[in-house]
Amino acid sequence: MSYVRSLIASIRVGWSRDFGWTNPILGFSLKTVAPIASTMTALTILYIGFKNGDSIASAQFPFQLGYIVIGATLYAHISAYSWVPTLAIAEGKWTFVFPQVYVSTKSSPPYLAGRCLASFASSTVTSIASLAMAVVISLLLFGVAIPLVVTPLSIFLFGIALVVNIFASMGLGFLLGAYAILASKFEWALPTYVSGLLMVFSEALFPVTSLPHPFSDIGNALPFTEFIRASRAVLLQGSVGSYLYYLGLSFIGGILLLALGLLAFKYAETRARRLGVLDRKVV
Amino acid sequence: MNPRASIWLKTVYARTWVRTKSIYGEPLWVAVNVGFPFFTSLALSLLYSSAGLKAGIGFAFLGGVMVSFWGNVLWSMASQFNWDKQQGLFELYITSPAPISAILIGMSLGGILGTAPSAITLAIIGWILFAPPANPPWPLVAVTFALTLASLYAMGMALSSLYLVYGREADSVNEALHEPVSFLSGVYFPASLAFPAVLQAIALVIPLAVGMDALQRTLFSLNSSGVADLTLVYRDILLLAIMGITLLFAASKALKILEEKGRRAGTIAVRLR
Repeated sequence: MSYVRSLIASIRVGWSRDFGWTNPILGFSLKTVAPIASTMTALTILYIGFKNGDSIASAQFPFQLGYIVIGATLYAHISAYSWVPTLAIAEGKWTFVFPQVYVSTKSSPPYLAGRCLASFASSTVTSIASLAMAVVISLLLFGVAIPLVVTPLSIFLFGIALVVNIFASMGLGFLLGAYAILASKFEWALPTYVSGLLMVFSEALFPVTSLPHPFSDIGNALPFTEFIRASRAVLLQGSVGSYLYYLGLSFIGGILLLALGLLAFKYAETRARRLGVLDRKVV
Repeated sequence: MNPRASIWLKTVYARTWVRTKSIYGEPLWVAVNVGFPFFTSLALSLLYSSAGLKAGIGFAFLGGVMVSFWGNVLWSMASQFNWDKQQGLFELYITSPAPISAILIGMSLGGILGTAPSAITLAIIGWILFAPPANPPWPLVAVTFALTLASLYAMGMALSSLYLVYGREADSVNEALHEPVSFLSGVYFPASLAFPAVLQAIALVIPLAVGMDALQRTLFSLNSSGVADLTLVYRDILLLAIMGITLLFAASKALKILEEKGRRAGTIAVRLR
């Protein structure tokens, strides 16, 4: 029970950190603008390809836009909160918050999990808002309505997919945090590196099958890829069967990644305690 | 030499040296810095490719190169004084005789020199992997590139003076600015092929947008004849020069006003607000 209290307290810390400096509406607006812009960049490239290239038929184009809009917004969602544990550690070292957590009776995982969940909640709102905005802007800019399947059932299933993906994102967060707790350099840059890799390997913008072996196999094995596929299955094709299949794979992969992340973090934390690198700052 | 000019030049040299040394002293930074723009460019290149427009791959990698500089302007120019405040460095700046404008110019030069290796590495990798077709007038490319960087870093100086009055908001504002400005500037695609005229006109107030348009036109011809439309390139070059000078002037004025205001109110070196 005390772990739940720690978790809830950490969620409140995360919210305070993200929105305490301003009012929530401005905070959410600022956080929504970036994913809208990155999604629109990908959509615009597809539009230019459609107008000037030779691969996309007119009938296919709205479906292709839907493929990109879902992939790009969900990629932004994953990136937004999977690097939060690294941020909480690196920033916490600067602001002396993390040493206080570190020496408390609880270990740091509940704190990091809470920060991650706080970011998940805000990122879910901003991602859904940016998905809706990108659909509207596409209609205004390209004159094309994206054929999304929006029913109570599809929204419910999409919500479950978002929740299932927490395991994988948190696992990735703990893996990166394992490095951040020991490191004194590059820890700010590492999440952006991994984020860039995910853009290529998570099927956010194009099918991973178009990558050469063994890169396509790596992409296929990632739980993030399966999460994006499950979301597309329900929001674009309306296929519950495919959705359940991909979601199952995403769940299994997510649990494995979370277990790996927690193990790596526990090892790093024990080692950090022994080496006394708690207050070693980034240079 | 005039003592004031001597101090100004020495400060520029010292700040440039520190910033350059921080990158070249740790060569692994080049590999780290090239990561995100490389993977973004790669993903967008594959998107161009899957959309049947392999000729567009050059835009994706040119965008990656320029995003490296844009990121540097936002994170290492605009918000640098905010971080310096938190480290206690800013107090040293304002109590020393070193002019703040010289510190900013030094930061810009050091930022350009420090970002250049990762930007060049990215361009070379893109060239080796995809060999995008380009046969540009190189002297014109060099002039356009130099003017784009000059006006971009002048904007960074103007923003840094603005950020002097901010506290924690600086990071959130940076995060909110990065992607939308990149999108409106057509960093990864030619805006003239996608945006309506009104949006293109609005984007012309952003130095990155003007620079990208000029670079895209000189490096990769955007019309069917395969020849760059130099009239529009010269227009962009003129706009960049005007923007660079105006932003430098604005940065200098804003710095003086905000520094004076901060000194009077006693808030100039307050770390957390």
